[in-house]
Amino acid sequence: MSRLLRFSARNFAIGYVALSIAVLVLFAAPLWFEWHRRIESARNEFLNDHAARLAEIFRGEGVDGLTRAINAQASSRPQGGDRLLLLADASLSKLAGNLPAWPADIPAAPGAHASSITVDGAPMRVTMVGTSLPGGYHLLVGSDVTRFRVVEEFFWYGLVGASATIVLLGVLSGWMVRRALLSEVHGISETTSAIVAGNLSRRLPVPGNAHELDILAHTINRMLEQTEQLLHGVRNVSNAIAHDLRTPLAELRSRLEELSVTRPAPGETFAEIEGAVADVDRVIGIFNALLRLAEIDTGVRRSGFVQVDVAKVAAEASEFYQPVAEIKGLKLSFQSAGAQSVRGDPLLLAQAIGNLIDNALKFAPLNGAITVAAGRRPGGAVEIAVADDGPGIPDAEKPRVSQRFYRGDASRGTPGVGLGLSLVEGVARLHGGALELADNGPGLRATLVISAETPAR
Amino acid sequence: MKVLLVEDNERVANFVKKGLVEAGHTIDHADNGRDGMFLAASEPYDVVVMDRLLPGSVDGLGIIAALRKAGSKIPILILSALSDVDERIRGLQSGGDDYLVKPFAFGELLARLDALVRRAQDNSAETVLVLDDLSVDLLSRKVTRGGKPVSLQPREFKLLEYLMRHADQVVTRTMLLENVWDYRFDPQTNVVDVHVSKLRHKIDAGFARPLLRTIRNAGYMLTADE
Repeated sequence: MSRLLRFSARNFAIGYVALSIAVLVLFAAPLWFEWHRRIESARNEFLNDHAARLAEIFRGEGVDGLTRAINAQASSRPQGGDRLLLLADASLSKLAGNLPAWPADIPAAPGAHASSITVDGAPMRVTMVGTSLPGGYHLLVGSDVTRFRVVEEFFWYGLVGASATIVLLGVLSGWMVRRALLSEVHGISETTSAIVAGNLSRRLPVPGNAHELDILAHTINRMLEQTEQLLHGVRNVSNAIAHDLRTPLAELRSRLEELSVTRPAPGETFAEIEGAVADVDRVIGIFNALLRLAEIDTGVRRSGFVQVDVAKVAAEASEFYQPVAEIKGLKLSFQSAGAQSVRGDPLLLAQAIGNLIDNALKFAPLNGAITVAAGRRPGGAVEIAVADDGPGIPDAEKPRVSQRFYRGDASRGTPGVGLGLSLVEGVARLHGGALELADNGPGLRATLVISAETPAR
Repeated sequence: MKVLLVEDNERVANFVKKGLVEAGHTIDHADNGRDGMFLAASEPYDVVVMDRLLPGSVDGLGIIAALRKAGSKIPILILSALSDVDERIRGLQSGGDDYLVKPFAFGELLARLDALVRRAQDNSAETVLVLDDLSVDLLSRKVTRGGKPVSLQPREFKLLEYLMRHADQVVTRTMLLENVWDYRFDPQTNVVDVHVSKLRHKIDAGFARPLLRTIRNAGYMLTADE
């Protein structure tokens, strides 16, 4: 991982530097050549002009006149920047001028030439224009360009300096990017390792400067949050299962062991065996409830969804529990605003509504009233509300009652294992809805909400 | 009745065999799918109890489908540890007539077998069911006991009709839940018992001989026998 990153950061830096230098050269090269060409042509123009003027003098006043003019114009010892003049005869021997002799590398033919010569031991870069005069004379008009070298040198220094700066910055920023990336990646990989090792509460560091990696860290943290919650749920459930299955199993075991040790009379033995079968049935009941919850949680039952009138399901459930309410001296009534059709699993909806009514029957006081009402909410969601006037559920306890195996204080001494509301909530979720618990003042108002649209998974 | 049991678990098989023999039935047992298929096709049984997971990873459903394809109309009860609703549906679609999830109470199995056999034999289109001095008219939906009219609510009528159709047989609470209310879950509280006792009050109160009996550890029976 880090090797790959080092590689990618270095490649990035190298590429960046190479590109920058290429752009710089692309900018400098045409400038350099154009500048050179323009200066050269201007200089040659000047030299040609001068040579033409001297040729004019030669035509008017002859060799002597030109010699005089040259001697008047040219200082005997040329300094930097001075005009260089030389008049020579047909054999290129010097007649007049401030050059010691005809330079060896300049041909006698007319034209412009660049050359290096030495005057009084000082090297000099020159540009010369040669002209042939009538009578076989040769004239050289030149200019010392040594002083322009400084400009050229500055240009090259500038170019090299700029390239060096780019390389340096490239290396530096590459290193810094790599370091920043590595530190963030190290943060991620360290946290991930800790999570793999079992510390699920760890979260990725989020520098909070809206970097690209921030978004990634945020997303991963959200995923971790959910994973932790799920795992927490699984752990809670397995603890609860362990506790709630172990209790009846322990009772069963001690009952059977006692039976095998004491060997009581047949009548008593049969009673004990019947008790043991009842214990087993309790365990099987818990087991079935858990399996059904798991089945609901996977969402596979959505494949069997059909169009179902929830109001009718609720009415039948109310009717089903009616005799129980009568025996307990409770008034169980059903209200509906007509058919409420949704896509769902009729069996599960019946069981969920049944559980809510069953709960209300357990907690309603003597002569109490239970109301089951089916209706549709403004948003289109269907709700089945079961309200009682019992003790209700304290606000602090509300979020916990739908947890698996949770049994509130009020349910002590009533039958049940604490899976009823978990199932209702699971069924609601399966149908894209929720279980809402509210105060009925006094009592509890439990509402099963079913979404108008079938949830997609 | 003559029962064929296809089940590879020896303990479960012995438990079922013993119980059925004690209840006065004859039983053949096959502990693998091939023998089960052969017996079911060659002997005239009243009902078949078919396990799903058989040796050699044979699914009992395949055997059932093969029997149905061969034109057999014998009632089949599927016995399985697979409890998902999907599995139950698959079981019934393959040609099974009832589906019982392991672990089960023997009383439940026996009651369901009785009901299956009764259903297969009962092809009369009776419109009036009569038991002793209790009569149920399915068309006019009128019930009388000793000539006196008994007033029942629709669901009570359905409950009584089911009990009458299975008169002299034990019916379990689960069977009542499934057939009278179409519910396939355990309602925790003894709701079925309350419904039955309400019905009993309506048909038996004031008569010397009660017809609707509670069978301990099993369920209910509607009978005129002493």
